Amino acid sequence: MSLVIKNLTKQYNKHKTGLTDYSITIDKGILGLLGPNGAGKSTLMKIIATISKPTHGTLFLDGEDIVTNPDHIRKILGYLPQDFGVYPNLNAYEFLEYIAAMKGVGGKDLRKRIDMLLEGVNLTTDAKRPIGTYSGGMKQRIGIAQALLNDPKVLIFDEPTVGLDPEERVRFRQLISDLADDCIIILSSHIVSDIETIADEVAIMKNGILLHKALQPDIINQVKGRVFEAVIDNHEIAALRTKHLVIDTSRQKDKSRVRYILKDSQPEPTAVAVNATLEDAYLFLTQNNA
Amino acid sequence: MRYIYSIIKADYLQRTRSYAFLITLAITFFAAYSFVPPPTASYTTLSVVGYKGVYNSAWVGYVSGMMTAIMLSLYGFFLVNGGIKKDIETEVGLIIATTPITNFVYLLSKLFSNFLVLLTIAGCTFVVSIIMFFVRTSGHAFILSNFLIPYLLFAAPSLLVVSSLAVISEVFLRKRSFLQYLVFFFLFGIMMANVTAQKNETLAVLIDPLGVRTMTSSITNLVNSQFHQHIDGVNLGFIYGHKQAFKTFEWNGITITSLFLFSRLLWIIFAFGLVYLSSFFFHRFDFKQPVSKRKKSSINAEQNTVITFAATGINRALIPPLVIDYGIFPFIKTELLLLTRKGTKWLGLVIGGLSLSMLFAPINVAHAYLLPILWFLQVTRWSELATKEETNRLHYFTYASYKPLQRMLPAQILAGITLALVLALPLILRYAINLDVYPIFDIINGAIFIILLAVCLGIVSRGKKLFEISFFMLSYALIEKVPILDYMGAIKHNNHISYMVIILTVNVFLLGISFAVRNYQSRHL
Repeated sequence: MSLVIKNLTKQYNKHKTGLTDYSITIDKGILGLLGPNGAGKSTLMKIIATISKPTHGTLFLDGEDIVTNPDHIRKILGYLPQDFGVYPNLNAYEFLEYIAAMKGVGGKDLRKRIDMLLEGVNLTTDAKRPIGTYSGGMKQRIGIAQALLNDPKVLIFDEPTVGLDPEERVRFRQLISDLADDCIIILSSHIVSDIETIADEVAIMKNGILLHKALQPDIINQVKGRVFEAVIDNHEIAALRTKHLVIDTSRQKDKSRVRYILKDSQPEPTAVAVNATLEDAYLFLTQNNA
Repeated sequence: MRYIYSIIKADYLQRTRSYAFLITLAITFFAAYSFVPPPTASYTTLSVVGYKGVYNSAWVGYVSGMMTAIMLSLYGFFLVNGGIKKDIETEVGLIIATTPITNFVYLLSKLFSNFLVLLTIAGCTFVVSIIMFFVRTSGHAFILSNFLIPYLLFAAPSLLVVSSLAVISEVFLRKRSFLQYLVFFFLFGIMMANVTAQKNETLAVLIDPLGVRTMTSSITNLVNSQFHQHIDGVNLGFIYGHKQAFKTFEWNGITITSLFLFSRLLWIIFAFGLVYLSSFFFHRFDFKQPVSKRKKSSINAEQNTVITFAATGINRALIPPLVIDYGIFPFIKTELLLLTRKGTKWLGLVIGGLSLSMLFAPINVAHAYLLPILWFLQVTRWSELATKEETNRLHYFTYASYKPLQRMLPAQILAGITLALVLALPLILRYAINLDVYPIFDIINGAIFIILLAVCLGIVSRGKKLFEISFFMLSYALIEKVPILDYMGAIKHNNHISYMVIILTVNVFLLGISFAVRNYQSRHL
């Protein structure tokens, strides 16, 4: 299974462009989308989910054009939007039955399927309460359950960990990893660690452009040997920023521990080389392409 | 107090920058055009039994100003009502509550923004009235004051009163929109009755928030003295079936008395006074009941966060095999569930009682009065039919589902029609027993029309308000027996087949627009 996107452009109006000449091929496994606000992550996901039409470009799923034939992907799509809502007067069962109807999932075992999904996201005991009374995390879990209702082959999660507490996030990552064997999973997040722990490949975007797409180690290699940490006086930080790409600073009384990436410069005499992370590579790529 | 301008401006812009407002303006232009009908039209907007004014500057200006005061006061309430509710729903209210703004200043800003929205619409009818003067008349001088006076002295104060009522209804009845509509409709009925029924002239002028009594008295006095008549009232609104030859008279406007000016000032003070008094009772977004409910649910939520996702995850091997079913019946079931769950129990009892009463009431009363009222009581249900996905931010799911246009939208329409017909069933049964087939077709046609109107206006305007106002005006016109707006065959028509064909054609048109626009929306989020 393969999703081939070629020269995708989304122009909202004269002044606003969502995506520019975006090309990417997505195969089975988990693709993590990373990018600052306005990078075009949600736009790309909406276009793949067929709820937004590209201005130019093509999207083929296993050779089938899904711009002209959106129903081809809709049958096998699980989509969790960033800012979704629910019908507050329905309980979890009724809501998932409704979503099942949308997805064309039926049969006498539908109730059992819903039961198992609710059990999986641990909402069984609250399943008969109106969803309007749910907490943010519980709503997010209902959203995850609905995305899985139709045994999707293409799963799109736009900021899925928003509203989940740390333990829920860990469970969610486990759940996604279990599904990844025979699906295309596209996942966007602002939290680099979420992507770092589960994504096979990472695509870094900015201003509607794909900056880089590769396996995680290959992306990290972009900054390998260039990440340093140094403890310096607070007043020296400003000067350091002019020479290097400062990633992080943490104050320690009169001094600060600074993590930075070399641009075309030499490391500070007191600096220590440290292991590069995905976050370092992400910040390096997005800020270097400012 | 110095921030009030910014608050009013933001609120005004937020309300007017919508499709619904644009469509309302378009309807306003048409309404303003219809306020001054051509001499050959089958209706008038103001007449004294057998007499009508010649279309001079005073007649066109005052009639237009008067009609704006009456009609805009009526539907303006529905248009501007909900400003505070919006702040509750968007939770902007919680931010406002933490600022130093006083209750009075906040409510005053709502009053002014309501008023500005209505004034914008009145401004449109004002411009159209001047255009209509040049279109409809010839040989009469254009006198600007004849246009300014009625708008300044009739329309503006009455719109201020309506704006104030919209604010205080939200203060006291909070989010109970339907109850607010009912109370206002009742008050408006009293206002109109007082305008026409009160015999004591001084009292009549004082208790007339619309200010039109001075004008109607001036016209009747002129007719009585010129034609030696003893007429004590005029016909206001869209009056049909008056195609007979009218005797004409030339009326040149009202004499502005100090009593009249005092009464207008009194109503302006009344509007501000109401808002001031209500500020002492304003909830300031602190709801005791919901807060306790919220606490209860958060306790539940806390218990659940202890064990979040099941430790075992989802065992896909145990999930039953996928069975594909692209039918629309599960949709219809859920849509009906959503429709019936909306509304309070007491409203359900009233609806049930009204529906059953159609079994026993005289059949013409049941058709002409009870059914329009019964259907109008569904306004908040039907207005949500095609808007609730966006309101509840569920449209991401629905538009990404399999064939949403062929399955989802028909299910919503069918669920709405089913509810309308179930409510009308007692009346349909009586017609069936009488072997009277045409009214049954009319009711079915009417049910389809009103549901398609709800769906079409909801989709086009992306909101509920436009349909709610339109439905209210339609129901009001139906009870007032305006034949052109009879969508359910409640009034006798000369050529019944043509009437049915017209409604059917409108239905097809509404259906076409609904599908075309939704088709576009579903691919352009």
